[in-house]
Amino acid sequence: MKKEKKNTPPPVSNKQSLGVYMKRYWQLYVLLALPMLYLLIFKYIPMIYIQIAFKKYSIVQSVWEMPLADNYGFEYFIKAFKNKDFINALRNTLVLNIFDLIIGFPAPIIFALILNELVFKKFKRVVQTIAYMPHFLSWVIIYGLALQLFAPSTGFVNMILTTLGFESVPFLNDPYHWVRTYISLGVWQSFGWNSIVYLAAIAGINSELYEAASVDGAGRFKKMWHITLPGIKPTIVVLLVMNLGNILGSGFDRPFALQNNLVMNVSEVLATFIYKNGIKGLQFSLTTAVGLFQSVVCVIFLLLANWLSRKLGERGIW
Amino acid sequence: MKKKLLSVLLAGSMVLSLAACGSGDSGSTPQDSTATQQTDTTTEPAQNTTAAEDSASNAAADPTNGELVDGKFVDTRKITVEVYDRGNDDGSDPTNNNYTKWIKEQMLERHNVEVEFVAVPRWTEVEQINNLLAAGDAPDICLTYDYPTVLTYANMGGVLDLSSYVDDYKSLLPNLWDWLGETNIYWDKDPVNGTLWAVEGKRAVTNRINTFVRKDWLDKLGLQEPTTRQEFEDMIIAFRDNADTLLGADADKMIPYSVSFDVGWRAALLIESFIDPEISDYEYYINGFDDRALTQNGTKEAMRLLNKWYNEDLLWDDFALYGSGDSTEDDMIKAGYVGAFMHNWDYPYRDGENSIQTNLSRIVGPDAKYVVVDCFEDKNGGHNKFVTSTAGDRKIFFPTTNDEPLASMLYLDFISSPDVIEYLQIGPEGVTHNKLEDGTVEIIAATGDDIQNSGFNIDYTITCNGLHLTDEDLTLRSMAYSYSGIDPELVKTAHEICNTDIRRAKNVNVGAITSEEGQGPTLSSKRDVVYDTALSAPVDKFDEVWDAGIADYLSSGGQAIIDERAEKWKATFGDATSLPE
Repeated sequence: MKKEKKNTPPPVSNKQSLGVYMKRYWQLYVLLALPMLYLLIFKYIPMIYIQIAFKKYSIVQSVWEMPLADNYGFEYFIKAFKNKDFINALRNTLVLNIFDLIIGFPAPIIFALILNELVFKKFKRVVQTIAYMPHFLSWVIIYGLALQLFAPSTGFVNMILTTLGFESVPFLNDPYHWVRTYISLGVWQSFGWNSIVYLAAIAGINSELYEAASVDGAGRFKKMWHITLPGIKPTIVVLLVMNLGNILGSGFDRPFALQNNLVMNVSEVLATFIYKNGIKGLQFSLTTAVGLFQSVVCVIFLLLANWLSRKLGERGIW
Repeated sequence: MKKKLLSVLLAGSMVLSLAACGSGDSGSTPQDSTATQQTDTTTEPAQNTTAAEDSASNAAADPTNGELVDGKFVDTRKITVEVYDRGNDDGSDPTNNNYTKWIKEQMLERHNVEVEFVAVPRWTEVEQINNLLAAGDAPDICLTYDYPTVLTYANMGGVLDLSSYVDDYKSLLPNLWDWLGETNIYWDKDPVNGTLWAVEGKRAVTNRINTFVRKDWLDKLGLQEPTTRQEFEDMIIAFRDNADTLLGADADKMIPYSVSFDVGWRAALLIESFIDPEISDYEYYINGFDDRALTQNGTKEAMRLLNKWYNEDLLWDDFALYGSGDSTEDDMIKAGYVGAFMHNWDYPYRDGENSIQTNLSRIVGPDAKYVVVDCFEDKNGGHNKFVTSTAGDRKIFFPTTNDEPLASMLYLDFISSPDVIEYLQIGPEGVTHNKLEDGTVEIIAATGDDIQNSGFNIDYTITCNGLHLTDEDLTLRSMAYSYSGIDPELVKTAHEICNTDIRRAKNVNVGAITSEEGQGPTLSSKRDVVYDTALSAPVDKFDEVWDAGIADYLSSGGQAIIDERAEKWKATFGDATSLPE
């Protein structure tokens, strides 16, 4: 994404002038070399090993020598879809990510809109900084905090609730409550950080538009609705497309840190399934197959969402 | 045109970064770079063995082709050895302290072998060793408590077959053979094809588990130490009902009986008391894959009782939220909120200054103490406490990346020498132990680099777990004095009680059970889920939750293991239901 800036080459009239072009801009390509090398070494070359999804993994053989798995190499995909734990993890990943999208995606937009309306610059800055903070906490620490706050008998919140005569709420140890805790913690952790992009987009809106609207007698909400929101719409669409592309993906640390045995049936997602069966259970081929499936679905979603957004007249991500 | 090209490039990098999210490939990167390396080395041990065999037939006296002179290598060899890192609060560096220095000096002096230690976190040892093996970085001498892991790697060709080494080099390994004997060395030998992937470290002490209760609370309430299950229940109910008396302002923190997420271990004596004492070797074996007795007959009824207790507020509500190695529960026990618990036979007395008992006396008062009780009777009124045999401790194996099998075997021999074990266990006199008048060794708290990170340095004496001094009688006397700051009488009782009415595990070796491969970690975490969800279910839902959990466990591979075990038992022992003596 970052390389998009280079997306604006100077006008080159025909093919002959490529040499001239390169002569003028070769420095830029040299600058590009290092990131490309990084991609090559850490992203492309490892992809050679994707083939273990189709092969019988062996620790001592080179990946080219490993024998092909049964069923024309699709043995492990078949196995995965027959595995009820995988199906369960797939369902959980989808459900949790959809909730995350529904609740977590609008949150930073709303926050950015509210923040934008604040008059006192200093107060705005302080609020903004405080809202960013959780982004820098690791999930292990957040789980530590959650335990201190929400554990059924020793959690601070539950201690207050019981002192006030209420029932203690099983925030972390009941599947239904756990999902809500998981989603809320996710929103809490990321909404401040994610709002930066929107704030930047808002800052880019021409202030004359607001002045003109004021002259026409538009109030605060009218301005928000007719100027700010349309102004950041392209940003929203791009981020939505990217989020949809990750509908089957998920970070590993968040579910892993937050899950426990009592809520395993709703908290086991693909990432933790892969960890447990692959790294711990040594089923490398099976879990590579799962990982590959996950990536392919992610790409399909990404392309679909992008296509859709272009159909609807937005720019999409390319 | 160019724009199109660029966008394709960008799309490509996007796909890539996504592919990287699917973590399936990330683990495999380092594996293969070494996999090629490993293919080269796999041929080596074969050559070694043939060489060894040849020379054995030519000159039986020197199985090593003159590599050794007086037990020392002519040129210095180098090996790496796994050591557990327990992450103790005030521990020393497990790879560099006074004991590792001593080991290194001694190995250099006795065998001209340089030793380097590789730390592996104790509580995630299986995962860590998996990663190291997969990456080809595993130490030359590896150990784990998890045999299925060894087996899985052996089947991938990642582990050296030790059978030829232990036999051909027997004359060079007197201490190893003396200490482990055929039982532990051949414990895992495949009865069909004779392969030996690991030797079993030996338990000098096979004490397993005990039930601890707060003696001072019993006294305060005028209760006797419980001797039956019913009395235990009455006792924890009394703790709950008298929380105000016992804890005053902290009454709401009262936990009458504490278990952790690992219910199968922390309620083991209760669970075992529900198992039929006349259970046949056959039935115990086929259900024996899970070392927490999940599928044994009787476990469900034990869990029903625990579930009832949980719903009567006799257990700790938060038990499932804290994972392995978390100290929250220990801290609560230390702070004096816990009335009873089950754990390793000497658990509250371990760790010197940092032990539960010492902390408890410091925080609550000198009277506060945990004593051991024996109160879970089986249906015949006796006790049905399962203990392991001398094997079943750590399994020691060499990955195929080990280029120095002989030096590694010599290390095992060295670490099994009686004098080495003794030195490592009790350390230098005046620093980690004092001698009483009758010669009894009394362990004292050490400081700095003399701190033993594990009791008796069991992390270094990898072939020996538990106190084992050169003099057996002295060992017994010293054991009670080996817990610094703890009343020896407490330890004596603990030792006696966990040795009454025990059932020693037998070695059922019917060959490798292939369906167990790679299932260890998955099934144990499922096991914990079954135990935890059943324990915390509402009483009227218990049956439903338990049955669903067991069905899930069985269909995830548990049943296949039971079936294969039954089948292989029948193939080996026919219709007999007990092992031949």
